[in-house]
Amino acid sequence: MSIYCCCFLMTTPLALTLLLLTPLTQSHQFQYQTDEQFHEELVVRPLAGDHVNTYFQFTTRWHYGSQSNLYHTQLTPRVIAEILQTYDVKELHIGLTQGLWRYESWGYPIVEATGGAELWAWFSSPNLTNSSVNKQWMRLANVFSGILCASLNFVDNTNSIAPKHIFRPQFMESGNQSQQFVRYATLPREIVCTENLTPWKKLLPCGSASGLATLLNSGYVHNTKYHSLGVKVRTLCDSDDSNNCIVELTQTANLVYDLKLLEQSNTDFSLRRLFGMGLNGYCELATSSKIYVQRNEQGERFQLSPQPQQELISTVGGYSVLYGVYDIQQQFEGPGARLFNIAWVGPKGNSKREQTSAPPLYAHRYLLGNGQKHGRIATEVINSHYEPLPVVLMELVPWYVHAYLHTLRICSKPQHLHEYTTSELKFNLLHYAPGKQRELPTHLEVGFMLPARSSALITIEVDYLLLKWLEYPPDANHGHYIGSAVISSQLPIGRNYTAMPPEGHLFKDSFNASRATYTLTLRTEALIVSLPTPDFSMPYNVICLACTVVALAFGPIHSVATKLIIVERQTTIPRNLLRKIVHKLSNRFSRRSAPAVAAADQQQSKQDGKDKGIPSLLEQQLDQAESKKPRDKQANM
Amino acid sequence: MDSNRYKLLLLGGAVRLYFSNTSLASLIGNRVEFATPLNSFKRLQEGVFLLQQGVDPYGGDLVHESPLLLKALSGILLNYAQWLPILYILFDLCTATLLYLLSHTFVKQKLKQQQGECKDYAKDTEELQYSENDQFKIPELVLLAYLFNPLTILSCVGLTSTVLSNLLLALILYTMVKRQLFICVIVLAFETVRSLYPVVLIAPLLLIFARRSVGLSIAILMVFVTSCFAVAGANFLVMNSWNYLDGTLGFIFYFRDLQPNIGLFWYFFTEMFEHFRTMFLITFQLNATVLYLVPLSIKLRKEPLLLATVLIALMAVFRAYPSLGDVGFYLALLPLWRRCWKFMAHGFVVFTFFLITLSMMGALWHLWIYAGSANANFYFGATLAFSTGQIFLITDLLFAHVKRVFCLYNGQRILIDGEEARILLE
Repeated sequence: MSIYCCCFLMTTPLALTLLLLTPLTQSHQFQYQTDEQFHEELVVRPLAGDHVNTYFQFTTRWHYGSQSNLYHTQLTPRVIAEILQTYDVKELHIGLTQGLWRYESWGYPIVEATGGAELWAWFSSPNLTNSSVNKQWMRLANVFSGILCASLNFVDNTNSIAPKHIFRPQFMESGNQSQQFVRYATLPREIVCTENLTPWKKLLPCGSASGLATLLNSGYVHNTKYHSLGVKVRTLCDSDDSNNCIVELTQTANLVYDLKLLEQSNTDFSLRRLFGMGLNGYCELATSSKIYVQRNEQGERFQLSPQPQQELISTVGGYSVLYGVYDIQQQFEGPGARLFNIAWVGPKGNSKREQTSAPPLYAHRYLLGNGQKHGRIATEVINSHYEPLPVVLMELVPWYVHAYLHTLRICSKPQHLHEYTTSELKFNLLHYAPGKQRELPTHLEVGFMLPARSSALITIEVDYLLLKWLEYPPDANHGHYIGSAVISSQLPIGRNYTAMPPEGHLFKDSFNASRATYTLTLRTEALIVSLPTPDFSMPYNVICLACTVVALAFGPIHSVATKLIIVERQTTIPRNLLRKIVHKLSNRFSRRSAPAVAAADQQQSKQDGKDKGIPSLLEQQLDQAESKKPRDKQANM
Repeated sequence: MDSNRYKLLLLGGAVRLYFSNTSLASLIGNRVEFATPLNSFKRLQEGVFLLQQGVDPYGGDLVHESPLLLKALSGILLNYAQWLPILYILFDLCTATLLYLLSHTFVKQKLKQQQGECKDYAKDTEELQYSENDQFKIPELVLLAYLFNPLTILSCVGLTSTVLSNLLLALILYTMVKRQLFICVIVLAFETVRSLYPVVLIAPLLLIFARRSVGLSIAILMVFVTSCFAVAGANFLVMNSWNYLDGTLGFIFYFRDLQPNIGLFWYFFTEMFEHFRTMFLITFQLNATVLYLVPLSIKLRKEPLLLATVLIALMAVFRAYPSLGDVGFYLALLPLWRRCWKFMAHGFVVFTFFLITLSMMGALWHLWIYAGSANANFYFGATLAFSTGQIFLITDLLFAHVKRVFCLYNGQRILIDGEEARILLE
């Protein structure tokens, strides 16, 4: 701050007066500005089936006070401060994901994400209208398209919806008068790769120079079975004082390694093996820098080397998890450069694996039907818990697929049966916004109670549309994506549940965070549908052929409407094609030699009419018809 | 004769009832040849369901039925859904009856007209004149052609709303022939607001009701326009928003849905270059409405019903979302022109075209959509050929009519120098 003041002083004489004022304001600002913290955390959780989940979370929390302080950023990236000034966005989630999280064997992830790109944001401000939110939403997506080098600029009104029930805001604002708007969009086709990881790392205070972020090398990150980058921004303001605000930026990287791919012989692993190198230190700007290693469940069979400095037991909703904690700042306290590595050593020769219990609620999605015209989207939600669970399902069906709401069915079956019975579940809430081609996606939210230990099959019939030939992406026969469905529920137990409570901002805030219910959000698989495709190679042919058929009608109708009826002599043209040609040729030949004879033959004069022009032909014929056969009238009907 | 008619009607109803209880019903409901975005039953159900849920059906892209009909049918669909096929069959039988009655009246009028004109007719033209027997023969043929045409049967079995369009069209023609101006104008206005293209039928209407009187025709036009607005207003009152206009007429005019059908529009606008789209859209819509209206009205001013037939047929070929039900309707009108049949040269060609293209459509559709071994061009080829066949039929009818009238006054055997002459249009 003082540096900025000096600059002012040098550049403008007016700053003299400012200087007098600064001591007052400065002290006020410093009170907030010192309150900026950066935390880095890494969670390593061995998963079932020789998988390892590593979860990085970088949290910047800035108690910035009033809006005007946003001009001077330190740890928080400047762009985040700028969007808070420019747009009325209060909360923003972006996920860039490759792969599929397997709930049944892996449990729930710490941060949910769907394949491809996903973003949703909450807007709030007095006098905000729906159309201005739409505009801000598109601009915001464009901004992050540039920041993260992702195709978020394709987010517009044709693939965005305003979810009604499924998302709950996690921000707090001053005053409660203003309306809240939410927008949600997914780009399931987005491919996440190095070009997204590099700019994402640049948002960190230390970049990828030091700290836990040095572990995120694209060569290793993109070899994983599942990787998901996330950016979450939210603001927390005092409800009475609008100048008492916090902005929280959480960057997450959630990776799942398949150990079999790393090392064929055994399932031992280490930080070096997972990330290609050991840890070379901590980010000097970080307030805390910690690694949490899960020691129970799948982590039980591993010996750690070195041993964690501390062990913590977190009990959430009746289920305990044991974590070993490494404080990196302590590890690197002494002088000298070194690399820090943690190794997980499994028991030798023991390949027996524990059976994991499936999480209380999980879901799958698939397409039914064949052909490129009709189909059914089926979403299966399975409740393995012993109590009924409330479920809200949100579908975002893109405009190139027509969904028929009246075909929405929710069938249920007890878990042990294989076939779905005809008994249907009633839905308790339904929100539907019909789609419109090239304008709006179909937005469906349906809520119902899922009975205990049973599963529900939600089906809806859809039509696949034929699009204009330029609306198909390259490789049209690859198919078009339908983004994943979002399923939300309230779990009464904390089994497999590791998501952070909305009031916390660090991973360690999730420890012992027992609540009455746990809000769970799931994403299903994305679908790929093959739409009927036109032939891309022949637009000219199609245009010509269709116009020809139109002309086929136009010509005869035009002649019926405009031409006169005449009679002419039945010709003596032979029927045989060859003789016809000979006849024509000989006629033409004799006509040239003796033009005076021409008028005698009707057919011949008709042929020559091409040279003479139609009017003369008509005259000639009419003359003949009238002179030779006065009874033959011309009729003009 | 009358009992025969009832037998035919009963038989037609029984055939429809039988097929609507088979799996054919759902199959046809999904066939693009019969169910277009405008008339498909599935979309009607969707509209009714959305209305029930309190969602504006015209906010989306699925429902294109006019609000009045949607409301009326929603009452039936929600309370008596199982009776709906019966209702549609009854509608179809009404259409057949109306066509029967109208052709009966038409032939009577023709006979009367012939009595006045017969002294001008040439000698050997008895077979070109309507005979007393035609009074019974032609209506029966019309009835047969409507009741037992597979196209109309299937379109009724698939519960397409073409059944309703056909009923309204038949009502318009019937009231035209019966000279009931008021009903005719109202029904025409209703059908115009519903599906745009029938607006061309105002020409035969004017030719029948306001012959030679400009003042009267302007008055009728005014009544027509007023009733169009009244119908639109009534629709507005039902929905309380003007959204439906874009959902029905706008949807037809702008041709937003490129789903394959039997018409010319779908593949043409799929492959169209975007910057020419508007131009060709206007061209094609003009082609389907006003392009042939004036010349044919002038040419066929003495035969308003033929004009109506040809316009309905052209509509069925060139409209944005044609279905085979439309084709079935105008085919049923052809027996009215039985006395022209002698001059229709392409009967066999057209029949073959219809037979082959209609059977090819199913096969090529399967190859394209399900087997993946053909592409859209194949199906497009079949629909193109089908349209060509229809155009042959229509132009053939026109030529036949022109020749018949010529021959009626000049005799069938026209001799030049003792040799038989040909009749040509030049």
